[in-house]
Amino acid sequence: MLNLMINGLATGMLIFLLAAGLTLIFGLMDVLNFAHGGLFAWGAYSGVWVYGMTGSFVMAIVGALLTGIILGYVTERFIIQPVYGNHVQQILITLGLMLVLSEMLKVVFGPNQIVASPPDYLSGSWQLGDVVIIKYRAFIILIGVLVFALVHYVLKNTKIGLTVRAGVMNKEMVQALGINIKKVFMLVFMIGSAMAALGGVLLAPYSGVIYAEMGMDFAILAFIVVVIGGMGNFVGSLFAAMLIGLSGAFMTYYVPDLSLAVNMLLMAVVLVVKPQGLFGAKG
Amino acid sequence: MLRQLNKSPVWILVCSAVLIVFPFVNDSRSLMILLTQIFILAIFAMSYDLLLGYTGIVSFGHAMFFGIGAYSTGVLLSRFEPTMLSLLISIAVGMLIASIVSYLVGLLTLRLSNHFYAMLTLALAGLFLVVAEKWRSLTLGNDGFTFRVPDIMRDRLSFYMICLILMVAVFFILLRLTNSPMGKVLVAVRENEARTQSLGFHTIHYKLISSVVAGMIASLSGSLYVLSLRFVNTSVFALDVTLDALLMTILGGVGTLIGPIIGAAIIEVSHHWLSELGKSYAIFERWIIFFGILYILAVMFFPKGIVGSLKEMRWKKRKTKVKTENKNKRMAG
Repeated sequence: MLNLMINGLATGMLIFLLAAGLTLIFGLMDVLNFAHGGLFAWGAYSGVWVYGMTGSFVMAIVGALLTGIILGYVTERFIIQPVYGNHVQQILITLGLMLVLSEMLKVVFGPNQIVASPPDYLSGSWQLGDVVIIKYRAFIILIGVLVFALVHYVLKNTKIGLTVRAGVMNKEMVQALGINIKKVFMLVFMIGSAMAALGGVLLAPYSGVIYAEMGMDFAILAFIVVVIGGMGNFVGSLFAAMLIGLSGAFMTYYVPDLSLAVNMLLMAVVLVVKPQGLFGAKG
Repeated sequence: MLRQLNKSPVWILVCSAVLIVFPFVNDSRSLMILLTQIFILAIFAMSYDLLLGYTGIVSFGHAMFFGIGAYSTGVLLSRFEPTMLSLLISIAVGMLIASIVSYLVGLLTLRLSNHFYAMLTLALAGLFLVVAEKWRSLTLGNDGFTFRVPDIMRDRLSFYMICLILMVAVFFILLRLTNSPMGKVLVAVRENEARTQSLGFHTIHYKLISSVVAGMIASLSGSLYVLSLRFVNTSVFALDVTLDALLMTILGGVGTLIGPIIGAAIIEVSHHWLSELGKSYAIFERWIIFFGILYILAVMFFPKGIVGSLKEMRWKKRKTKVKTENKNKRMAG
């Protein structure tokens, strides 16, 4: 029981890392980035590659973050900016990018699944009474909480966070006050991509194997989270991610075939009852 | 403008007449099969264009309706005697299920912004794919199953004709629909939903009709598709199917009905050609990349597609002609 809970929380944290970037980007830029899952998968692959080269897990995380930041920059600058303001085109183009990103993975790293394992100091588990806690899962939860606390602190207590929050509310006003909102967009996009890449590299040892299509699978979960949590709502996405993670963990244990269906059902209920999301104020 | 509208059906009639004669002149079997595929996918792409081009709704789960049609036909034909009657029933069942699903999806999300419909359809199509994989007693998962088809469908030539006729029929039905007052409202929704609403139209109502019609036609094309293969597996639910429709519509021209047909032809021919090339050059095995890049470039620089850009060019030419005529008149006067 407790094990399932930890399992669910760990998965939830990974989804949160993906969904948080998505929701921030959407809230600020009005762009729903369908390529976000691709950045997630790139984070996983590049992280595993760096881990294989250097043997250091810390370096792997740094490598994934760098990949996320670079890809985020390139995406924002060359793909999103040209079609800024046109919703249909944005949706279409980011999906195209997703396709290219996941196919590029197959070209660069080969089409087969790649096996990944956690470093020695994180593998194994603790025994507390009759409860077994797998170290790596605890580690993921810890990282997730840290990232959440950091981003939350930055959003609430710094000038840049203030600008971002103001931008979510009213872009034109922020611009009228002499702030270059485009720079803020780019920054947020890069941070969101880095978070997605971080989620990817953390997932790799957790699931054991990585494959090119995993971006899409997790992106779907992240979309569900974003809808449940409310578009553009950072705190809401944490709760929704936990909810999806936990329900996923329990459902895969009791009725494995229905786990995705239950998540969809949750989303459908939220859409009917409160379409702006459980924690959202704006639609 | 009116003349232009009347011209395109004439063109399509001429082209279809050529296509009817074609198999009797040219007896290349593989070319005929390729053309049949193009007709089927053109039906699919046109249904997609009704959503994207005319109503301005982006769906990432159109494969779900395609797959619903495909599986209804496959399952019913394998369970019952493969007669014409059961085939027609299976197509009708597929269209019915597709209309119910599209109605429910639309009801949930169409009153919200575009993003919701795109996300929900993407997620739901993923769900259908998983269900098809898991429900092995019905679908045999990814291995799929073969089934027998009615005798008349076995003959490649008659199947070719049926697909051609259906494509032309769908074209004219959609042409009628989009030129009707309802079609005009759909275009108004695409251009400015808030304003259409303030004019007193129930936009959600119109969007729902559009998505249900698109779902039903997509289901029809799915049924035809598996009839041509006599085999069905979970790949009919894959994201690639939706992406193909997207690419065909965008490349050919959004908001025109001929565009998707031309797009379907281009994509199918290049599919065929690239996978041939893939046998000799390894790089072409990853042809999806080329499609992805082509697709991004098309969205960025060529958003109107082939037909749209041609129309624009003609429009501009006429405009400059009128302008110079006016100038001349003024100078003369």
